Amino acid sequence: MIGVELRKTFGRPRTWVTIAVLNALPVLVAVLLRLTDLAPRPGEGPPFLSAVLTNGQLYPLAALAIVLPLFLPIAVAVVSGDAVAGEAQAGTLRYLLARPAGRTRLLVAKLVAVLAFVVVTVVVVAAVGYLVGTLLFDARPVAGGTSVSGTSLTPEELAVRTLMAIGYVAVSMLGVAAFGLFFSTLTDSPLAAALGALAVLVTSSLLFTLDAASPIAPYLPTRYWLAFVDLFRDPVLWRDVVRGLALQGVYVGVLLAAAWANFTTKDVTS
Amino acid sequence: MSGHGRGRRWAVVAALVAVLCALPAVVAALPADDADVAAADLRDAVLASGGVGFSGYAVSAGGLSLPVSDQLPAVADLLSDRVQLRVWWRGEDEHRVDVVGAAGETGVHTDPAGTWTWEYESATAERTGPAPLTLPAPPDLVPASLGRRLLSEAGDDELARIGARRVAGRDALGLRLVPAAAASSVARVDVWADAATGLPLAVEVLAEGATMPALDTRFLDLDLAVPPAGVVAFDPPPGARVRQGADPGGLLREAADRALSPGRLPAELAGLPRRTLEGAPEAVGLYGRGVTLLAVAPVPGRLAAGVRSALAAAPDAVRDERGTRIAAGPLGLMLVDAPGAGTFLLTGTVDLDALADAAAALTGAPS
Amino acid sequence: MSSVVVTRGLVKQYGRVRAVDGIDLDVRTGDVYGFLGANGSGKTTTVRMLLGLVLPTRGEVELLGERMPRAGRRVLPRVGALIEGPAHHRHLSGAANLALLDAAGPGGSRRTRRRRVAEVLDQVGLGGVGRRKVGAYSLGMRQRLGLAGALLRRPELLVLDEPTNGLDPQGISEVRELLLDLHRGGTTVFLSSHLLAEVEQLCSRVGVLDRGRLVLQDEMAHLTAPTGATVVDTPAPERVRAVLDGRVLSADGGRVVVRGADPAEVNALLVGAGVPVRGLALQRPTLEEVVLAAAGTSADRVERA
Repeated sequence: MIGVELRKTFGRPRTWVTIAVLNALPVLVAVLLRLTDLAPRPGEGPPFLSAVLTNGQLYPLAALAIVLPLFLPIAVAVVSGDAVAGEAQAGTLRYLLARPAGRTRLLVAKLVAVLAFVVVTVVVVAAVGYLVGTLLFDARPVAGGTSVSGTSLTPEELAVRTLMAIGYVAVSMLGVAAFGLFFSTLTDSPLAAALGALAVLVTSSLLFTLDAASPIAPYLPTRYWLAFVDLFRDPVLWRDVVRGLALQGVYVGVLLAAAWANFTTKDVTS
Repeated sequence: MSGHGRGRRWAVVAALVAVLCALPAVVAALPADDADVAAADLRDAVLASGGVGFSGYAVSAGGLSLPVSDQLPAVADLLSDRVQLRVWWRGEDEHRVDVVGAAGETGVHTDPAGTWTWEYESATAERTGPAPLTLPAPPDLVPASLGRRLLSEAGDDELARIGARRVAGRDALGLRLVPAAAASSVARVDVWADAATGLPLAVEVLAEGATMPALDTRFLDLDLAVPPAGVVAFDPPPGARVRQGADPGGLLREAADRALSPGRLPAELAGLPRRTLEGAPEAVGLYGRGVTLLAVAPVPGRLAAGVRSALAAAPDAVRDERGTRIAAGPLGLMLVDAPGAGTFLLTGTVDLDALADAAAALTGAPS
Repeated sequence: MSSVVVTRGLVKQYGRVRAVDGIDLDVRTGDVYGFLGANGSGKTTTVRMLLGLVLPTRGEVELLGERMPRAGRRVLPRVGALIEGPAHHRHLSGAANLALLDAAGPGGSRRTRRRRVAEVLDQVGLGGVGRRKVGAYSLGMRQRLGLAGALLRRPELLVLDEPTNGLDPQGISEVRELLLDLHRGGTTVFLSSHLLAEVEQLCSRVGVLDRGRLVLQDEMAHLTAPTGATVVDTPAPERVRAVLDGRVLSADGGRVVVRGADPAEVNALLVGAGVPVRGLALQRPTLEEVVLAAAGTSADRVERA
């Protein structure tokens, strides 16, 4: 069942087109940065972008930071919103369920397929970022890098922290995926499900900037997204990272429970 | 939609959500253990806590909108924003405070010989020597050092005990300071200090007539173990720009050279006695005691022009025949032209009338 | 004879509307069951309830002797279904679609999958296009592919909703042959349709649904049994009436219906009287007449309240 869903997700041209488009922006930014040498001023632009000019190994992180606020969540929302609603719209959901693929099993398989998409996407963005970064910028392969706190990192430390950051960004997207999947069980329109998940994210990002919303800020799904920067402080600042992981866990748990409660008792009329 | 467990399944989900939503409230409602400690004893414990080593994470929320954001952006951000601080404290002259930003950080590493300030986003390390008079810096906002500073000159009659709180998971005993000086613009200072070590864990400063704290700084995480020296020390990383910091005293001295002689500053201003500050230029006068302080400093013409236009543009400034002055929370600010002696900046935690009185005394006009 | 599909008091209510209103289906092993009803009469909702897609408001469904939807995981692998037209992933080939569908449920070993897919593709006449993307298929080809999907597991029960939709006359006849062939092999067929002719040609039992109620359920042979009258085809209907005075039930042009279940006796009387007779037959009601008598007006009609 899980294998079937993985084959469906990755056997579909649209998945790879999405991933390719997602990589276009960081590559474009890298080329522009290389041509103009104009780094963003301190405090502006995505994290790590200004550091890339002197250390191309940081470009995977800059690439993730570039796609994290908008492109990545959109891609995840579209794919996760399509999970159940897409089958419903195409009419294949009724055949799957009559096969029978148990409803809970189907939901779990869909989740796993979306997770796999998230991980593959994040890893591809980071890998393309690494290629682009080391090709276009000064690589400094021996010296490692400088942490945000101004200490030196060995290449091993830098590699380990980059891998942790990739993992953290992937986990950050799980909340989006859970929203998409839940909405996907509510409607037969994949577009509506994806837009619903995006609406949640836009609301969350907006409330995060609003002082009046500060009491609920720690519970906003996007609150800890940028905490992957904390992995590059020295010593690592685990506080927000741990909270981010726990918060995503709570969102995934609650939304999956809601998706399960809805989907397993729903009339499939599509 | 009856039957098939639909209602039951949704009830499970609702129960899950309710439990998760209630968790933070339950944790926050955990009661704090109070202890029967006299206010003066608690103050002494706080003042003796300078050698307590710790590391932690603190948040400072400032409500001061200073009209000098163009001239001193770093200071303005520090006092008007929400600032996240990471602190490693080995002693009064060996500590590290990082201001954590979304995309970078500013680290202040203090050692007995001076201070390294690291700016990640510009990859700059700046070395400054010890100075008696400095602008507010991140270490000043750490609840531990701020609490000690604010309580350092508090008299017994100004202090009272208030209820305990849980701060950073520890029991913290409350202490309230209500300044006795009539000129003070500070309504009260509340400090919650760790019951075991006397370390201040949370500080709230409330201005006269305000309901929200002008400054609220507290620990969210605290580890009472002395951090390793390696974490506190700083070596500029390869590739960083390293520069020598400007001497903050130089600016004042430059102005003081052209300003009135030290003898010209009166011994008392607005009812506050002058005090001496070791190492500070003679031209700078500091008045008052405890949390009621007034500083008089000569300012060079170019800086004065900037402050003057900022004051003029400030919407809530008070303008009358006694001069233009502004209050940002408990902090008053006024620019005075003393005939033949240059321009003075009056600032401190005094109310606007006290500022006007001080200005009148300086210019020799009848108050 | 055991029952394959049984429902008891099956009700599905949407808000205040009862789409299915207490029906008791009974489909027996070996039946080709025709489930007739106009559009909107609740056929599709009933079919979906049989397969566990729509959950009944009240009542029970038993499939192959087990309660649905509880036993779906055990029962449904033994059931093949075509529900409201075929649906496939357009970017995949027909064979890949079938392979994915087969892998999505329990049973059906991985080793035999390719062979079984190839077999059902041949069976429905798509052996030559199994590798082409479904997006390039015609409507008829997709219908055949949907049928192939239903046959993939060699089901004991086939539940088919409008299986000949979109097929040309040759296709319809091929599908009919295929179904009869399967039926001879022991498969019970539950055929939901609004086409009377299709049901009449294929089915051994009929259920008629009208506005959510099962108004008729019987053996086709009973429904269309001789009425006890004989139909006489003659160029001289007025002379028939003269000879068989009192026995003529109705006359319509050259077609006269006469009481009497023995055409030979009627023939002897008429020929003896010199009345020309072109043809004689036992009168049997058509399915259409039976259905129209049982059901009211079309459900598409909405009368003023």
